[in-house]
Amino acid sequence: MWIVSTPREYPRLVDRPRSRAWAVLVVVLTVAATTLVIYPLREVGPEVSPGVVYLLAVLLVAVYWGLAFGLLTSLVSAAAFNFFHIPPTGRLVIADSAHWVALSVFLVAAVVASAVADLARTRAAEAERRRGEADLAADTARVLLGGATLADALPEASRLVGVALGLHDAQIVMDADGDRAGDRAVVLDLGAGREALLDLGVRGDDAALRARVRERVAPALEALLRAALDRDRLQAEVVETQALRRSDVIKTALLRAVSHDLRTPLTAIITAGHAVRSPLLEGGERDELGLVVVEEAQRLSALVDKLLDLSRLQAGAAEPRRDWCSLEEVVRTAVDDVADGDAAGFALSFDEHLPLVQADAAQLERVFVNLLENARRYSGGHQVKVRARVVGGKMSIRVIDRGPGMSATQLARAFEPFYRDEASDAHPGSGLGLAIVRGFVEANGGRVRAESLPGHGTVFAIELPLAEQPGPAPIPAPS
Amino acid sequence: MSAARLRVLVCDDELQILRGLKIVLREAGFDVEAAQSAQAALDAAALHPPEAAIIDLVLPDGDGVDVCRQLRGWSQMPIIVLSAVGDEEIKIAALDAGADDYITKPFNPRELIARLNAVLRRVGSNVDEPTIRVDGLEIDLAARSVRRDGEEVHLTPTEYDLLRILARNRGRLLTHRALLSEVWGPQYADDTQALRTHIANLRRKLEPAGEPHYIRTDARVGYRFIA
Repeated sequence: MWIVSTPREYPRLVDRPRSRAWAVLVVVLTVAATTLVIYPLREVGPEVSPGVVYLLAVLLVAVYWGLAFGLLTSLVSAAAFNFFHIPPTGRLVIADSAHWVALSVFLVAAVVASAVADLARTRAAEAERRRGEADLAADTARVLLGGATLADALPEASRLVGVALGLHDAQIVMDADGDRAGDRAVVLDLGAGREALLDLGVRGDDAALRARVRERVAPALEALLRAALDRDRLQAEVVETQALRRSDVIKTALLRAVSHDLRTPLTAIITAGHAVRSPLLEGGERDELGLVVVEEAQRLSALVDKLLDLSRLQAGAAEPRRDWCSLEEVVRTAVDDVADGDAAGFALSFDEHLPLVQADAAQLERVFVNLLENARRYSGGHQVKVRARVVGGKMSIRVIDRGPGMSATQLARAFEPFYRDEASDAHPGSGLGLAIVRGFVEANGGRVRAESLPGHGTVFAIELPLAEQPGPAPIPAPS
Repeated sequence: MSAARLRVLVCDDELQILRGLKIVLREAGFDVEAAQSAQAALDAAALHPPEAAIIDLVLPDGDGVDVCRQLRGWSQMPIIVLSAVGDEEIKIAALDAGADDYITKPFNPRELIARLNAVLRRVGSNVDEPTIRVDGLEIDLAARSVRRDGEEVHLTPTEYDLLRILARNRGRLLTHRALLSEVWGPQYADDTQALRTHIANLRRKLEPAGEPHYIRTDARVGYRFIA
């Protein structure tokens, strides 16, 4: 979300019409005040010179209300000066021809002053507007190009434009129908046939305002939106390229695995199948061959399961189906699966009243099946320990084996798919188990890490978030 | 051991699997009626009702869930469905349509036969038996009391209801939904959290050693009581 720390005051980019009634009132008041001020001045100078004071009133009005009211003030001032201060006072009559000259000079000076003041006023206002436009463009650029995606930045950009134009409900609508623009919106051309609308909201039916926005605000906004669109596209391409590169690595590793890990058991099965048909079989040989077929096929089956798990994880198709599940249940089921009737190889310890976790039970089961198989493979006949408890508001499960342990290099790469320690040929595994463990743990919002003391064993520590525990179970309906 | 061999209907469109299953089942003491399509299976079952059925969930002319539903329309024979990995929805649909259990391909034939015998034992037992006795556990349905190795186990009414339903369907995999609807009522059919909590409590009382002994978990699907 965008938070603008210091809300910028934008000079008004579009003039609001100023009240004419106010202008007329101000004209009358300033002329009256000037007329009064001149009375004391007459004591110190000739009656003609203080007329200059009226120029102040003319300048004041012209600066704020423009040329027309400046001229009006000039005329009213001339009349008032004549009536109140040029003898004969009290009448709009000029007796002395010198006074005629003075009044004419005053009038010309007043008109010129009005024109100059109006010009200055217009230029200043224009400069202010341009500064406002520049500020708006800079701020919009920061919002549109500095953030994550265009879609995220759009509401804040709309707000900035709205503040700058004094339209609280202005809105930028991407890919809107240009025909829908109607009277209250300005169409922004984004190139490549894309359009956006700058909807000006309630005051959008002001034609002058729309023209101003179209001319001064829209071009910068179009350029920025195009840049933001380009940036989005480039980012998407980068992500895609990275994913492709990663999937290339995976594919290469996969091919290697397929060529070796799948072919070996297949060869054994085919050979055994041929052999079992031999008429020269002796006693236990047929049984032996049958066992070869079963064992090798089971190895294949386990490998296919793992490849499937991994490809689902890689494809992002392993969306967990979360539900309340009991870790004790999950771990015990996994032990049942791995132990194959020999549960004594595993020592389980669960704290009493462990809370339920919100996770995909089947995926967690795969996590523990892989971890337990792994641990048993390396434990050298020692018991594998599993301990589950709540630590620091999280569910913590540790799988501990007393195998040879792993070096720092091995630890660093242990969770990579297809990583196998070259030195551990004595413990053939697919090299997929730990990658699946990490994939499923992380998919369920958890974390897994390995700690090892070479020569003393390895600990795999899993942390799972504890969701807020639901309320008490409903009371069963009377049966 | 009775002389009459039980007949099992096996329906799978893979001839290679049928071949192997025939031999394995024959060796386990069953007569096999093989069918390669849903229609053939339904016809064979109607013509000569078997004692149990093993149905593949994916068939060329329909799905196994339908076959289960149609068989259940007129028969209480145990049904085991064969499923592929990851078909949780179809598995659960088949169980809710009346299947007793499922087994995932590729399976160990010995495991299949163990499951088959387990569901057959449920049918063989007297439905109205007043007391269920399994491996040291004694559930007196009339007195609503439970004893383990002769010692009374104190259960809450909910725990007792869960145990009773599981035990009366022993060998059968009951889905979370089925258990919840049965014990709490259909409006609570999705409250798996309550179910897991009560099952955990029930286990603590029944299986103090910590070994899952009487109740088996199927992570995403449900629970079964051992037969």
